[in-house]
Amino acid sequence: MISAIYNFALTTGANRVIRGARIEHVCGDPTLSPEKDYAFGMRIVTTALQTLTIAVPGPTLFDPMTPGKT
Amino acid sequence: MRLEMGTFPVTDIVFGRTTRYDAGRLTVDREAVLAAVRQDPRIATAELEIARPGESVRIWPVRDVIEPRIKVEGPGVCYPGICGRDIATVGEGRTHRLAGMGVVEVSSVNWHDAGGDYVETYLDMSGHYGEMYPYQKLVNLCLVVEPDATLSEEVKNYAVHKAALTVSDQLGEAVRSLTPPEREIFELTPVDPSLPRVIYIWCVHSPQAMSGSPTAFCTATYGLTQLTPPWYLHPNEILDGALTGPYRTAFAMSWTVANNPLLSDLYRRHGRDWNFLGVISLRTEWTTQTEKQLMANQTAKLAQQLGAQGAVVTWDAGGNEFIEVVRSIQACERLGIKTVFLTSEDDATDGAPTMLEPLPEADAIVSTSFFKNVTLAVPEALAVARVIGLPTKTVRRGSTIGLHGGADGALATAGPLPPPWRYDDHYGFGSLSCIE
Repeated sequence: MISAIYNFALTTGANRVIRGARIEHVCGDPTLSPEKDYAFGMRIVTTALQTLTIAVPGPTLFDPMTPGKT
Repeated sequence: MRLEMGTFPVTDIVFGRTTRYDAGRLTVDREAVLAAVRQDPRIATAELEIARPGESVRIWPVRDVIEPRIKVEGPGVCYPGICGRDIATVGEGRTHRLAGMGVVEVSSVNWHDAGGDYVETYLDMSGHYGEMYPYQKLVNLCLVVEPDATLSEEVKNYAVHKAALTVSDQLGEAVRSLTPPEREIFELTPVDPSLPRVIYIWCVHSPQAMSGSPTAFCTATYGLTQLTPPWYLHPNEILDGALTGPYRTAFAMSWTVANNPLLSDLYRRHGRDWNFLGVISLRTEWTTQTEKQLMANQTAKLAQQLGAQGAVVTWDAGGNEFIEVVRSIQACERLGIKTVFLTSEDDATDGAPTMLEPLPEADAIVSTSFFKNVTLAVPEALAVARVIGLPTKTVRRGSTIGLHGGADGALATAGPLPPPWRYDDHYGFGSLSCIE
């Protein structure tokens, strides 16, 4: 689950929680140029897809901007 | 800060040749009041109608209900900062209010184009659902107003709200130089230092995140609607209208904010049961976890700096805004400040929690309602004899329970209507129990 309010996602039991940007633009940032916005969104979505291959013991947070840190 | 509140109870409103108050009867010069409203070139049409308690009348769409309050002595104006009004700090001197009545702002103008913030409130002056609101007991002067259709949504909002405030001001002027039948002094005098120190954490919605505008119309603090760090307000400022509605729920109107029974009780028992420290007003709907937590931390820190030992917490919204509210409670408790939380409940269907983020620190909670018409199978509101406002109502939320609108979901306003889609008594006006 990609969520800007990730603690809520964790407490409600989502196994893999990916930190999104903001509630109003979870996978993007309108202050960036279109190219950078696309790259930013891709990084979040790609992180989300990659976490599907990772076994987790329970609700776990993944931060696309800090790879490897959970 | 000392405020003398002079109350003029209104028991009836009639139209007449001059606007004046006489022993509970408010006469309104309809043409003079409307002429003042129409001075604003942004206003296209404006009419006034009276709705009395018990009448078979439905008012739709209800954007706000305002209690006329006027500054008689002391700095500033009541309802400061809104729609370009003076922003001098209020709460000092003398204020006159017309009690038992409301100026109802009736217009098709919606809050803003984004999100799900629709104007949803209708008001029945008789019948079951009207009884659940404090406004049904008021004599209501309804301003049915439409702005120039070419204006932006934001400008339309300010135009129609300014029009309602103009009506409120015109009525208030009628009692400016009269002697009030009732007077009450509001002052946070020094009290017995052994009394517990209590603060009121009053959370109010900001439309900034959903509208994308820092100036979108909504619940305001001195006219400001944007997301801001917590404010420390003297309760007298709120009595003078420094904190105002409206927001989309029926209990977040300006009238309910000005007449919040929780604020009154906290104030009136100051010096007897506790030491009331005042109000921290927290703007909600921050949109990252970090911002929500920061506001919670700062709210609790401010309460601690002010010496609070206890806090009463209310909020006026739903959804993600719960996070900064409940985390403020958690942060207070972790600093040793005991909290009591007033909140409505969420739908527990399929085992969902009745609160979005149940935290163990929030362990003293007063439920002010659960209201979902589909789950409770509550009946529709009955047909009425007269409508003030728009002839049709589009049902955007909630069940129509056997009522069939057109393809666009529009129903005749005068006919049976679905019950209100939510019932959130944020401040404890009603005494409706869970079983009722």
